[in-house]
Amino acid sequence: MSERKGERKPVSVPPMERVSEVVAEVRKGARPDMHVPVRVFADEELMSQLLRDHSLEQLLNVSALPGATRQALGMPDMHEGYGFPVGGVMGTVLPDGVISPGGIGFDINCGVRLLSSRMRADAVAKELPGLLHELSRSVPTGYGRGGRLELDAEELDRVLEGGVPYLISRYGLGVAEDPAFIESGGRMPAADASCVSERAKQRGGDQLGTLGGGNHFLEVQRVAEVFDAKAAEAFGLFEGQVTVLIHTGSRGLGHQVCTDYVREMDAAASRHGISLPDRQLACAPFSSEEGKRYFGAMSAAANFAWCNRQALAQRCREVFARVLGAKAEGGLKLVYDVAHNIAKVERYGNRDLCVHRKGATRAFGPSNPELPPPYRSAGQPVFIPGSMGTESYVLAGNDASAEVSLNSCCHGAGRSMSRTAAKKVVKGDQLRKELEGRGIIIKCSSNAELAEEAPLAYKDVSRVVDVVERAGIARKVARLVPLGVLKG
Amino acid sequence: MTVAVPTSGDQPAGAHSFEEHTGEVRVRLSAPTFAGLLVEAGRALAELLADEAPGELQAAERVDLRDVDRAALLVHWVNELIFLSETRKRVYSGLEVRSAGDREVVAEVRGWPASRVRTAVKAATFHGLKVTQGPDGFSAEVVLDV
Repeated sequence: MSERKGERKPVSVPPMERVSEVVAEVRKGARPDMHVPVRVFADEELMSQLLRDHSLEQLLNVSALPGATRQALGMPDMHEGYGFPVGGVMGTVLPDGVISPGGIGFDINCGVRLLSSRMRADAVAKELPGLLHELSRSVPTGYGRGGRLELDAEELDRVLEGGVPYLISRYGLGVAEDPAFIESGGRMPAADASCVSERAKQRGGDQLGTLGGGNHFLEVQRVAEVFDAKAAEAFGLFEGQVTVLIHTGSRGLGHQVCTDYVREMDAAASRHGISLPDRQLACAPFSSEEGKRYFGAMSAAANFAWCNRQALAQRCREVFARVLGAKAEGGLKLVYDVAHNIAKVERYGNRDLCVHRKGATRAFGPSNPELPPPYRSAGQPVFIPGSMGTESYVLAGNDASAEVSLNSCCHGAGRSMSRTAAKKVVKGDQLRKELEGRGIIIKCSSNAELAEEAPLAYKDVSRVVDVVERAGIARKVARLVPLGVLKG
Repeated sequence: MTVAVPTSGDQPAGAHSFEEHTGEVRVRLSAPTFAGLLVEAGRALAELLADEAPGELQAAERVDLRDVDRAALLVHWVNELIFLSETRKRVYSGLEVRSAGDREVVAEVRGWPASRVRTAVKAATFHGLKVTQGPDGFSAEVVLDV
């Protein structure tokens, strides 16, 4: 038999101290296995929401990882996940601090990229239904769906190691300046295709250029408001402009990489003398054979995800040109592409750290040399998608974020309600009518899936962004509203 | 909606339920035997995946797993079914566990072709996972990343 229930073990709340109106801390020692304090970015309202689930307990577990340094950080959109909470950030000191696949998640380099047009939304209002229809025909969605770019084994390995620069040079999927506007240039050099299992390649090898399912989406938007004119100009954004936001990741290939290495590190934990409060935090020293091979595989999966978003962006460029003709002159420019689920080696002071970001975005300030020259006065663009049908934000990273949050920011609104609960209180067909009544074109065949991603199931993205700004992590640049949504 | 899943050989009856979890899906499982627990986990996965009436079961595929303990075997088993489902584009509801020990599982599984799935399941996790044995048999809770 099968039934759905709501029973859960009670949430235990450790003693917390307010550091400021938007920062709270659990001191090291609140639990004996903590190596570092836990710090959460939240105002009172967001704190009350996150204390309804087990995310804080999961962040305390993260603070027990070997080699953890500074603080285990919870972003304002934090909610319960597995292993790390979603919105969790942790740095470990290299070379012997650990790397944990559970600190990155199954959808390695799930992330978002923003494309900007030169068009004003009011100038293409009549063409939008046709544009969304053509996008829905051209972009494969759903679980296990293969893409149009099928690669043989050798080519897949070259994509895994060569990332976006290879995809552009070999297949013409993009323009030469695109990689400069992608985190890490769209290629992590540590990528090693030989560390990716044949099963992972089999599972995801035909999925390049596909959106996938779940909360992945492609959204055509309008810039509704500009907060920081100088930064907006640097990013090429203006009020009324049409933009496109793409949210997807490394598909089945990344899922299998994580599956493979969680299993391997779980089995090897005792050999490394590692004892964990949660087996999903399975980890190994970064310098160990398991650690090095996982980082090589994760980097390859990250490259695959960037290539996936690159292929989708190129598909959008083609559809815009085909449907809009001369109106689409100037095409779609890549504003930036950021990862949500990834581990990066970053330097803080005189130490290299392995920074795990699980449902969190890197947010470099203006002085960081990795930023492309046009953004060095503004800071790194950070994209915060709201829930389906609600507003999204473009932020710019501050230099202070290095000290405040390990150069990390939230990645979205953050769920506040389970999918099951959302479907109980939201009717998909009514939600569809409501969104369409507001002029938003919805491309999603399932009303149930629509209900799962309803705005009611998410926190208030404006409040989340407000906390980010007040904490000094990043500042608001622009607000985007949806014109049409293609749901994965 | 509950999807009817064909019974699987001689496995004793088990049960599964879907529990609240903010971001993912938590499945509670119980069965008189560990083999039955594995079958029940497979049924729960099929229920999540299936978005249409079950089709004709295809040829049996052998699954032979080894792992460090029963909890790891349960995760491994579900992940194997997820892998097969995604690569074969099938929903596996014909589940015959031939033997299930502390460190090894041998099974034959049969799936039916699915044109689409309802809930995309990325993986089974170890988060909060315990396989317990009591007077009524085995029970477990497993969180699936969806």
